[in-house]
Parts: sequence; C-alpha cells; structure tokens
Amino acid sequence: MACRRKVGFWTRRFVRNLLAWVAIAFALFPAVFVLGTSFNPANNLSTTRVIPRNPSLANYFELLFRQPFPTWLWNSVKVAGISSFLSVSLCALGAYAFSRFRFSGRRVGLLTLLLVQMFPQALGMVAIFLLLKRIGTYMPWLGLNTHPGLILVYLGGALGFNTWLMKGYFDTIPRSLEESAMVDGATPFQAFRWIILPLARPILAVIFVIQFITLYSEYLLASILLKGEKMYTLAVGMRIFIGEHYRDRWGIFAAGAVIGALVVLVIFYALQSQIISGLTGGAVKE
Amino acid sequence: MVVRVLLKVALLGLFDALAVYWCVLFLWDGNWTFLAVTAGGTLLLNWLVLSSRSYPLRYLFPGLFFLSLMVVYPAGYTFYISFTNYSTGHILSKDEAIGLILQRTYSPTPSVSFQFWAFGEEGKLYGLVLRGEEDTYFLLPDGQLSSLKGHELTDHDGDGVPDELDGHPRLTRRELFQNIERLQTLRVPYGEGWLRMATLTEFRLYLPQYRYNPGKDILVDRKTGKIYRPVEGKFVADDGAGIDPGWVTFVGLRNYIRFFFDPRYHKAFGRVFLWTVEFAVLTVGLSFALGLALAILLNDRKLRLRKLYRSLLIVPYAIPAFISILIWRGFFNTHVGLFNQALQNWLGTKVPWLTDPFWARFSVVFTNVWLTYPYMMLISLGALQSIPGELYEAAAIDGAGPWQRFTRVTLPLLMISLAPMLIGSFAYTFNNFTLIWLLTGGDPVVAIGERAGATDILLSYAYKLAFQGARGNEMGMASALAVNIFLIVALVSGISFARTRMLEEVSRGM
Repeated sequence: MACRRKVGFWTRRFVRNLLAWVAIAFALFPAVFVLGTSFNPANNLSTTRVIPRNPSLANYFELLFRQPFPTWLWNSVKVAGISSFLSVSLCALGAYAFSRFRFSGRRVGLLTLLLVQMFPQALGMVAIFLLLKRIGTYMPWLGLNTHPGLILVYLGGALGFNTWLMKGYFDTIPRSLEESAMVDGATPFQAFRWIILPLARPILAVIFVIQFITLYSEYLLASILLKGEKMYTLAVGMRIFIGEHYRDRWGIFAAGAVIGALVVLVIFYALQSQIISGLTGGAVKE
Repeated sequence: MVVRVLLKVALLGLFDALAVYWCVLFLWDGNWTFLAVTAGGTLLLNWLVLSSRSYPLRYLFPGLFFLSLMVVYPAGYTFYISFTNYSTGHILSKDEAIGLILQRTYSPTPSVSFQFWAFGEEGKLYGLVLRGEEDTYFLLPDGQLSSLKGHELTDHDGDGVPDELDGHPRLTRRELFQNIERLQTLRVPYGEGWLRMATLTEFRLYLPQYRYNPGKDILVDRKTGKIYRPVEGKFVADDGAGIDPGWVTFVGLRNYIRFFFDPRYHKAFGRVFLWTVEFAVLTVGLSFALGLALAILLNDRKLRLRKLYRSLLIVPYAIPAFISILIWRGFFNTHVGLFNQALQNWLGTKVPWLTDPFWARFSVVFTNVWLTYPYMMLISLGALQSIPGELYEAAAIDGAGPWQRFTRVTLPLLMISLAPMLIGSFAYTFNNFTLIWLLTGGDPVVAIGERAGATDILLSYAYKLAFQGARGNEMGMASALAVNIFLIVALVSGISFARTRMLEEVSRGM
C-alpha cells in the first residue's frame, strides 16, 4: 500500500514536470529558433536547424550598419521613453489630487477615468489623424509625421487605469508624513514633490515600464501618423522591412527581433514581480 | 514668496499673450473649433492659477488637458464625422470647393491666340510681344499687359519675325527655356478671362468655365450651358455628371444605414462582425483554459522549480507583441515557413496557413492564444492563491472528488474574481488590430473587389476604409464603423459588469 502510494507520488510528480516542460517548449520555441537563426549567415527561412552550422555575426553587422534599423530603434525608445516619462508625471499629479484632496466631482472623475478607457484611442484614429493634420498647419513640428505629434497623441492615455493604480499606492502612504511637513510650512505641492514622490518610487517605476512597453509596441497610431523611413518607429519599420521578404531577409530580421525584444525583456525580467502585479491588477498587456 | 508670486504672474502673462496671438490667428482663418478650444482653455488656466478654490484641479488639469485633447475630443469628432460624407473628394468646405471650381478655365472655340516672342539678355527677361489677329501687345515679365505704343519693334531681315525690342535682342529657344517656369505661371487678365502660355510660341485666352449663382445655389458651365445643382456634397447635373471636388456635408444616418442595407458594405460588415466575435471568444476561451490549466499545475507547492517554470512560461508575454507576431508570420509562411518545411520533410504535404480562409483564422487564433495565455495564467495563479484551503478540506470531507472540487469550488470562485479581467481581455481582443494587421493584414481576400478579408476584424476593416481604400479614403464610413465598435464593446462590457457587480466593488475602493 505504502509502496503503491509512493509510486503514484513519483509518477504524478514526473507527469507534472513533464507537462510543465512541454508547455515551456511551446512558449520558448519561437524565441529559441529566432535566436539561432540570427546567428545563421544563410539568411533564409529554409534551414530548420535551431543551432546553425557555422554561426556568425553577419546578420547583426548587416542590420546595424547597412539597414535603417538603428534609427527605428532609437525612434521607438525616444518616443516611448519621453511619452512614458511625461505620462507618469501627469498620472502622479492626478493620482495625488484624487488621493489627498476632497473636492466635488472626485468620485465622478474617478469613475469617468475608468469609463473613458472603453473608448480606445485607436477607435478615434480618423479624428486623431485629421486633428494632427490641422495642428500641423499652425505648428508643423507638432503635426503629422513628427515625433512630438505622436508623443502628444500618446499623452492622451496618461490618465486612466494607471491613475487608479497609483492612487491606490498613494493611499497606503500615511498622511502624517505630509502633515508634519506642512506644519513646518511646506505647501501641498512641496509635500508631494519631496515626500510623496520619493516614497512612491516603486510604483512610479512600474507604471513607467508598463507604459513604455505598451507604447514601444504601439502600431496603429504610429503607422497612420508617421510616413517615411527616417521617421518610423520599430514596429512600423520592421513590418515594412520584413513585409513579403521572408525568403531573403529572414536572417537579418531575426537579428532585429532579438535586439528589439531584448530592450523590453531586460526591463521586464528585472522588475518581473512588480510589473506582473501591476499588469494583472486589471490592465491588459497591449 | 513675493518672487514666487511675481514669477507665477509673469509666466501666466506670457502664456496669455501667446494664447491671444493664436486666437487672432485662428480668428483670421475662421477656424472656430481651435479658437473656442484655445480661448476656453486659456480662461480655465487663468482661473486655475488665480483662484484658490480650484486648487485640487491644478493637479488634474495637465492630465485632463491631454485626455480631452487626444481621447475625448477625437471621440466626439469621430461621432461627428460618422454623420458626414467625409471621404476622398469630399474633404473641403463648400466655399473652398466652389473657390477651386471657379478657378477652372477652358479655351473657347474658336480659340483666341497670340503668337509671342520674348526679348532680353541672357538670364534677364525684358518683355514679351504678343501678336494676335488684330492687336499686338507688350507684356512685362510680371504679367502687366499694355499696348505696344511707345515701344520700338524692329525686324532686321524682314522675315516677319521681330529681332529686337527697344534694343533688346530676341531670346533664342534655349534662353526661352531658362525662363519657362516663370512664363508658365503667368495668368494675364484679358477680357473676361486670362491669357496663359499654351505652347512655346503661343499665348491663348482662357475663360472661367463655371459661373456660380449664390441665390439659386447653382453652377453654370459656360462651355456647354449645363446646370449643376448641389446633391449630397457635390455639384451634379441632371444627366448625372458631377464636378470634383465635392465638400463635406451632413448625410444623417446614411453611413450607418449602409452597413446594414447597402450590398457593398452589409455583407462584409456582417461577416467581419461575426468573425470578430468568434475571434475574441475563441481567444479568451482557449487562452483562459490553457492559462488556468498551467496555473493549476504551477500552484502545487511541491513542484520545486515552479518559480523558474513561471518565469519561462511568461516569455511570450515579455516579448513585444509586434516582434513575436512577425516571427509567427514567418513560421506560417506557405513556401519557406518553418511549419511547412517540417510538414514537407515528414509528411510530404503543405498547409496554406495564411492563404486559405479557414487556416488563416486558425493561425490567427493559435498565435493569439500563444500571446495571451501567460496573462491568463498569471491572473489565475493570483486568484487560485486567494482561495482558502479550508474550502477544499470541507469539500473533501463531504466526499467531493478532484473534478467536483474543481467545478464546484475552484471555478465558481475564480470566475467571481476574474470576470472583470476576462471582460477586459475580451474588449481588448475585440480590437486587437496589431495582431491581425501584422499576421495576415486581414487577408486572404474572400472576393474580388471586396476589401474586408477573411481575417479582418471590425477595427482593421475600419482602418482599411479610412486609410487603405481602393476607392479612396472613406473617413465617414470608417468613423461610423468605429462608433459601432464602441457601442458593441460598451454594450457587452456594460451587461457583463452589471452582472458581476464589478462597479460596486470599484466604488468601495474609492
């Protein structure tokens, strides 16, 4: 009896681990395969080997020195970085007001922020396109096909679910800290800037990263607003680069995929647990 | 303190000055929307800075400003466009369109033409001589026409072609070419119309082709005598001929009605709508099933490597979606893709992954399940850990088997806490443009001349209507479609939220 139980235990344990590894293989094989391909100088899709016969960095050299890839990567990092930084600032200001002040319209405002999320910016694509076109007639640097214009559009998403997340965090910071500062003569803004913000650094980082990852991958709006190879973000550029060229550009594309993904992978795994708790708190990965 | 107040006032004054400058500019252009927004925004800002009652709003204003500008305003504007015929050929206002049409000219028959010669030194044009049937004129390079009186035209060799004007030699053909761009832009008022350069040797009289009658709101074609009346944003004659460009005008509910009754749209709309729902339901259902299964697997504390397993299983979540979608597209490639290579080697067959409607839909759902299951796994793990163990003990004592424990205890409890996220996930998938666009582009085509492909979802169909149209850009139709999408998602979410009473919980959190 005891023996049978023990056998059952070991079988079950084996099966569980086996299932886990099957799932992991399913999760990882595209990444592993592309990583292998990126070192394969053959530069086409027709090799089904994961580890290339004579690995080389040829694809990376081609990508970094003969293709517009570095420009796209820089554009993406720049646009997503600046937008995320500004978004976090706006979001923190808003969350502070919701967390610390009592004013009429506060509850309605908080609920409205949630409801507005039901109208994703993508649905307003025609209007946003026309709006930027008109803005561009007065301020060409902020119009169509400009990065400041795209950042302006992305800032529309600054207040939203993230404000809730941040407000929740601010609520957990005891008020006595600010109150004592204000007794010493600090204005509410000074209390916010020098007491709340330093204490809220973890949530600021998480929201920055979530926003960065989201905007780094944003495709629709970037594709209608940006025209011309020099202006593309990585998502728009890579789609055009690979387009119908899977036969002849696969190797170079794989190298680009590795670099493009690493930018996000590194941040993601560095802050894994905080990001996951933020994202799964109701937000959906974009 | 005083310095601070001064600084505040100075900055505000600077901003107000700028705002006034913009307002004047907008007023000049007749851009009422921008004028109203700028004026209103500036007044609000002044109130915010100067009134003490508005203190909390100062913190909210920056975020709300961008929210209004880039979410709320586009939402309203989309709604507005959806009731107009905004599309290629209908993007101007009526006045702008009439202005453009009135500039059209025609050359009357018999044509009135003038032979011309240009005089001057190399690179410097002195003047032109225009000789018609009856009159001869002198034309300055800036377009001033005068009589030839007072100018001396000489013909040295007597061949009928003048060689010198006021001592300036006639330009050679080559020299004339150097000035051609300047001459081509000349529109010299003459009689009822204009003289324009028609060929290298000839100026011709052009008359305005249309005359607008503001009282009757009609255009008359002076060449043919036809009368054009405004019909749905365009001047149209009785025989159906229209004049481009048209203008933006209200068409009421026509765009919406078209999606339900116009054969060019309603078939595509119905098919795309059904597929979008199917796609969203399948994705959420399958990825939730897979994610939950893996979460249950990982939730076993005896599993030693579960932290590692979890980190590895969420890799699809950590790779930017646009990159992994493009990779999958490569794998699915019919000719050189990994899957068909393998199938070819082992079974000697190929599957049209992205080119056959059924398989393309299969690939789309498959890829999306791969992309989404980590999220489902993570939220399920969180929810599983919050279920108290005593419940299972109690169920076991009552004689429930593992399956019964799962269906009677785990699942109902999970659904309570996960329902809002599943609804959110459904709404997100419903509009997952990036996946469709990067994986299949909405293809394969289902019928010739039909823009919506087999895997197009409503949002990608709207994108095609707005920006990729074979018949031009149908912004009005695309906006009506966007409003429809919004209504559908709002309805589905509203009903589900009401059922799960999620909003109540949210209110409690405030």
